[in-house]
Amino acid sequence: MNGTADTTGGAGMDEAAATDDGSPMGAAEAAAIIRETGQRARQQFRVSHRVTFTIWGFGLLLGYGALWLAARGQRPFHGPDPAAFATVVLLANASAAAGLLSARAEDGVGGLSAVRQRIYFLSVFAGLAAMFALEGALVRAGAGRPAIGVFEASAPVLVAGLFYVITSAVWLDWPVLGLGIWLVVAAAAGGFAGPAGVWGVDALAAGLAYLVMAVIEPWVRQS
Amino acid sequence: MSQDGLDPVIHAPARLRIVVTLAALRDGDDLSFTRLQELIGLTPGNLITHLRKLEDAGYVTSEKNGSGVTARTSVALTLSGRAALERYTTVLRQLLDSADQG
Repeated sequence: MNGTADTTGGAGMDEAAATDDGSPMGAAEAAAIIRETGQRARQQFRVSHRVTFTIWGFGLLLGYGALWLAARGQRPFHGPDPAAFATVVLLANASAAAGLLSARAEDGVGGLSAVRQRIYFLSVFAGLAAMFALEGALVRAGAGRPAIGVFEASAPVLVAGLFYVITSAVWLDWPVLGLGIWLVVAAAAGGFAGPAGVWGVDALAAGLAYLVMAVIEPWVRQS
Repeated sequence: MSQDGLDPVIHAPARLRIVVTLAALRDGDDLSFTRLQELIGLTPGNLITHLRKLEDAGYVTSEKNGSGVTARTSVALTLSGRAALERYTTVLRQLLDSADQG
């Protein structure tokens, strides 16, 4: 590291130990620095999960809700194609916004957290890619549109749920573990509501779970 | 150690801020020089000076990756630095407690 001349020096307490007004730093000032700097640093490094959960909650409620409205009552079931596009756009935007929020808090932070972050993104990408591949395989195997409909609604929720379970295992984050298990259960149970109903069940079960997390998260973290 | 038992390497406002900021990172993480400078509010020269002192004591490590515009210097608190901060905080608490009692 290229440095300039050291401004510190002298016996005992060096001159850098002085406060702004030149007086030696006392214990009370040091304690105040530790408290204020620590609080500020933790705040700066903390990803706002509350905002992320809110974005995903409304994204799922509105996106999946729109798909449910588009698909309900279809005889025969042919799927909510135009709304599906809107959902993808909405979820993609939510994802990008959540990613940007995360990136700001982690700006300049490297090391293990950065490696974990890449592994998370890789796992979500792999999960979603596998999901689309499986959907193609189901179509190829002759699965009907209703079966495909159940799969395409529940599989993303299942992938998200497993992602949160894995995340909680790394950070021992119990609220996130709760969210992950809930999403996995919602994905599995929602399928029994049929190809149209699954969108509505997942919209409510997953969307509201995210919103509940957004509400309780700051309180849970403090307690 | 200074007369009151506080580690003189840490017992300076700027270095205390640096160590406390780096201690807020998760184990195994580091922070870019630029972000640290932004958080601490020192000039690059002053920050380098204080980091060098902490580095000499074995409390922080710095690593430069890349070159040219992509160069990134990262700074991390060592285990020894984290332990030193804990000791410093303990001594500080004792000093404050004894001042309260006196």
